[in-house]
Amino acid sequence: MRIPCPYCGERDSQEFVYRGDASPRRPEGEDGFYDYVYLRDNVIGEMAEHWYHAQGCRNWITVLRHTRTHRIAAATLSRETPA
Amino acid sequence: MSRLSAGGLIDRQRPLSFTFDGKAYSGFEGDTLASALVANDVRLVGRSFKYHRARGILTAGSEEPNALVTLRTGAHAEPNTRATTVSLFDGLEASSQNRWPSLRYDLLAVNQLASPIFVAGFYYKTFMWPAKFWEKVYEPLIRRAAGLGKLSMLPDPSEYDREHAFCDLLVIGGGAAGLAAALTAGRAGLRVMLADEDARPGGRLLSERQEIDSMSAVQWVAQVLAELASLPNVRVLSRTGVFGVYDDEYVAVERVSDHLVAPLPGQPRQRLWKIVSRRAILATGAIERPLVFGGNDLPGVMTASAVSTYVNRYAAVPGQRAVVFTASDSGWSTARDLAAAGASVVLVDHREDEPALAAELRTRGVEILSGAIVTDVHGVPVRKVDVRLADGSRRTLRADLVAMGGGWNPAIGLGSNMGAKPVWSESQQTFLLDETPPGLVPAGAAAGRFSLAQALVDGAAKGTDAVADATGRAVPPPSFRAADEAASTAPLWHVPGARTKCFVDFQNDVTASDVQLAAREGFVSIEHMKRYTTLGMATDQGKTSQLNGHALLAAATDRTIGAAGTIMSRAPYQPVAIGVLAGHHREESFRPVRRTASHDWAAEQGATFVDAGQWKRAQWFSRPGEASWLETVNREVTMTRRGVGICDVSTLGKIDVHGPDAALLLDRLYINMFSTLAVGKARYGVMLREDGIVMDDGTTTRFAEDSFFVTTTTVNAARVMQHIDYARQVLWPELDVQATSVTEQWATYAVAGPRSREMLQAAFPDLDVSNDALPFMGAAKFRWQGFEARIYRLSFSGELAYEVSVPATLGDKLVRHLFAAGRSYDAVPYGTEALGVMRIEKGHAAGNELNGQTTAADLGMGRMMSKKKDFIGRAMAARRGLADPSRPALVGLRPVDRTRHLRGGGHLLAPGAAPLPQNDEGFVTSAAWSPTLDHSIALGLLVNGAQRHGERIVIHDPVRGGDIQAEVCNPIFVDPEGVRVRA
Amino acid sequence: MPEHLTIQERDDIALASVMARKSMSAAKIGTALGMSLLDRPAACGSGAVTFIGTGPGTWLAFHDGTAPDFAADLTHRLAGLASVSDQSSGYVVLRLAGEGARKLLQRGAAIDFHSASFSSGSVATTVIAHIGVVIRQVDDGPTYDLATFRSFAGSLREWIDHAAAALAF
Repeated sequence: MRIPCPYCGERDSQEFVYRGDASPRRPEGEDGFYDYVYLRDNVIGEMAEHWYHAQGCRNWITVLRHTRTHRIAAATLSRETPA
Repeated sequence: MSRLSAGGLIDRQRPLSFTFDGKAYSGFEGDTLASALVANDVRLVGRSFKYHRARGILTAGSEEPNALVTLRTGAHAEPNTRATTVSLFDGLEASSQNRWPSLRYDLLAVNQLASPIFVAGFYYKTFMWPAKFWEKVYEPLIRRAAGLGKLSMLPDPSEYDREHAFCDLLVIGGGAAGLAAALTAGRAGLRVMLADEDARPGGRLLSERQEIDSMSAVQWVAQVLAELASLPNVRVLSRTGVFGVYDDEYVAVERVSDHLVAPLPGQPRQRLWKIVSRRAILATGAIERPLVFGGNDLPGVMTASAVSTYVNRYAAVPGQRAVVFTASDSGWSTARDLAAAGASVVLVDHREDEPALAAELRTRGVEILSGAIVTDVHGVPVRKVDVRLADGSRRTLRADLVAMGGGWNPAIGLGSNMGAKPVWSESQQTFLLDETPPGLVPAGAAAGRFSLAQALVDGAAKGTDAVADATGRAVPPPSFRAADEAASTAPLWHVPGARTKCFVDFQNDVTASDVQLAAREGFVSIEHMKRYTTLGMATDQGKTSQLNGHALLAAATDRTIGAAGTIMSRAPYQPVAIGVLAGHHREESFRPVRRTASHDWAAEQGATFVDAGQWKRAQWFSRPGEASWLETVNREVTMTRRGVGICDVSTLGKIDVHGPDAALLLDRLYINMFSTLAVGKARYGVMLREDGIVMDDGTTTRFAEDSFFVTTTTVNAARVMQHIDYARQVLWPELDVQATSVTEQWATYAVAGPRSREMLQAAFPDLDVSNDALPFMGAAKFRWQGFEARIYRLSFSGELAYEVSVPATLGDKLVRHLFAAGRSYDAVPYGTEALGVMRIEKGHAAGNELNGQTTAADLGMGRMMSKKKDFIGRAMAARRGLADPSRPALVGLRPVDRTRHLRGGGHLLAPGAAPLPQNDEGFVTSAAWSPTLDHSIALGLLVNGAQRHGERIVIHDPVRGGDIQAEVCNPIFVDPEGVRVRA
Repeated sequence: MPEHLTIQERDDIALASVMARKSMSAAKIGTALGMSLLDRPAACGSGAVTFIGTGPGTWLAFHDGTAPDFAADLTHRLAGLASVSDQSSGYVVLRLAGEGARKLLQRGAAIDFHSASFSSGSVATTVIAHIGVVIRQVDDGPTYDLATFRSFAGSLREWIDHAAAALAF
């Protein structure tokens, strides 16, 4: 699978480390950490995912990818993409 | 000999010698092993998998299920090689498989007598009782009787290569459609790759007697290839089979030197191609179906198109008295080819209507029986053919060859690799690709366009589509003059009235009655029938059997074939050597090896090395006369604790964290405070995962207000870097902080022991290492050999100790310098074992304790968790289950009988408690022999451990030597007050 | 010759990693250095110094000729603008030249090295044989600089020797 890193360009997915769903936000206060750490939606469809370009630019990117077809619609630098 | 005196695409000027089963034969350059065997009248080439039936060559292509041979000998021997795909070379040696003592007299053919037992699913019904017989009796028997070829069991000595390719269009298959497509797109300037699995492109054009643009098809192919070779944007790869379609890429194997006696120096045997292409055309043609009648697996029965291939391409006639049994127009061409080659031919077609070719066939002396079927064939090899005529009467024909034309299956396997389900076409009576992987389209026979003219038009059209898609330009497709010959089939899925076994899957010995049995036993789903009968599960993945099997199942379950469905093909489409997937990465090169700057020096000292992740680290440094590693390690520990020892600790991860918010970020990553750390000081820190479990630990030094130097454990270096980047890029992008890995920039040596200070003062006379200048946990920069160096007063050993860092290019120089200075102090090199013993003596948690299940509190570091700030893991570490004080906590253990050796892994039980899970109170995490205390010691996790110092406990270790009585104690065995480290 | 390849280790250089601080643009950093600096995978040069983009706001700075104070100089000049770390020992840099070099890289990395996609000044941080590499095309020879973390250099060299032997085929 090829992932379009916003900095490096399209690269083999083996250069990246997959983390998971990019939509959960780290809670500001005390509550909500259990959901944040453990609970995830099981999505068939397009999902925002966090990938780390470990063997490239070492930046985290947010990838919009369809979980069944693997088609990638977009990829942006996570630091520029509020969740 | 069945070799024709003229014709064929063989080079009669280049005769070749080869052996098969030890017997010598000859062939020509351009032959395959199969065609040469045909030319030499070799009818018997193997024994079938289950029944050990005598088998001959069935096809002329890569779909071959029967002619599996072991090619070459010794370490290069490759079993299950299809003789039809092997280019003959001089000196080739091949042998048949699955027979003993010989091919002709195979004792295991007695399996056939037991065939009523060996029906589909027999594994599930037999060999079950008594249960204890399975391992010792049944399994070894089955293992000996089953199987095809045997491995040499020697390491594969071949070299394998890999390449990455990028193009605008990948054309898979170089037959009529593929060449037309490649030419169209190549002329329009697209970057085109054409991959063809055969020794030379051309596909069926090389096996039929067609004409294109008023020249022979073979000449046309040569012309097209010449033009493609002249285009710099086109690359044609022969002997290259695409075996899998994956997300965004196609993978193929190029057989670089398999057709040579031996590769040239440096030449790989095979090359793996990973091809990235937005567009691809599946021009893989179609595979001819056998017909299902009695004895259709006997030597001398072949597919009709294979017979034409042997006659036309290889000038080898597989028989002199042929019966062509066909349901398809293409079978009539085979009859014509056989007659032209001098064979006597009887054509049996179950259809009533005759195609146009009938007239020509009659003038060539071919007897035509329309509306007739072959019910059984007899003889090993074929001798007699039973025919039932249109009027119901029967005839028996003498024949030495039966050519069967059951119709054509588009070779769409690759198209379903990514889940696209093929769709039944009522008009074509076959499965076609409907939905396809993105960018992939079938063309030609693979798209159900079976005539030559249609294939050319379709290939050119798909080529123009690719050009339009890639460039937006509309280019007119080239046109070629060729025959739109009759190419229809009226499928005959099963011949009624057969008296002997009718085979469906030749390689796995699955018969029509097996399919019917599966249906009767309830395995009516296509997927169940496949596994129950094993139809389609052999190395050929059912290329010649699948659709026949599905049609039988549909009939047996009263459904249409479309409703019964079909199977999706799995990659690899053809068998692939594991060596080509591994490429360079095997044995010592399996993965990268990382070496530190002192590696060569350590090797000179006779160090024994150990793997720590990808690194090689010195484990210990044996001296002559030492009887065991334990003696060596004891000496290293003792000499370090009494004098000074030096250890390479360069492998630990090192990260520069810089910027105005560096301190703030570190506060959020570590459980303890770092913003309060003074410049020139180091502090030990622990990082948690967000779920509250300890992730890593290390010391971090502050060199400036906005400059920190973070260290991690060796194995977690990459993980921590990723974690820091996640924190600063995703969690808190508003912070102004930068992080860079400098693991490789610095070579670091621990210098430990009561004499370490004096030794370092001697090594660095211009550096003040007094206790005032460099107190415990202090750090300083200095210059050495013109470069910046660092010294840290840190101790993992519990002794007075330092760590000295220089740029890695000076690391070798430094280690030699340290030992030169150290000579007067009896400095000893120590490795990871001694390092481990000393840290256990000091109760320091390391990898065994940071095991992904422990919290900071478990490890006795609960009080380090700051209450004044948020940090990763804070909230979840406070969960009841993780904050429970009676959780297993870090303790020290020593054996009551001081001569006993403790081992990691034993479980902890209260004395007298039965060894049951409900009584399990923890386990031993790390153990070592302490030369300092002269007895074995261990660290462990014990329920309520902090409260139980002094108690007796039982270490339960039934697997290795039984239980040991132990005392629970302070995990800090040596210098628990920590006096030495502050000297 | 299509397989022509020369390999040379560049040990006469200094290296530093440079990471822009928040809101500090490449232009600002470039001005402080007296050069035009781009924030993308490309090589920007000024005399003995070349900055190659390895990530957003991140460069690996090369200095031709050993310079023990290269990183310290950069730190000083870029104070408040960027964070600098000495990497002179961190990487081994190999210079590969010849048409065989292009073929070699094509065999090793899943990146398109065709001259239309990768040319003089192009930079890519990627992986070859499980080893991280930073590749920069120096000129149309083609000549490339291949930088890898020091501890991996031995294994990378092993791969290069193995792959180079197969270049003629």
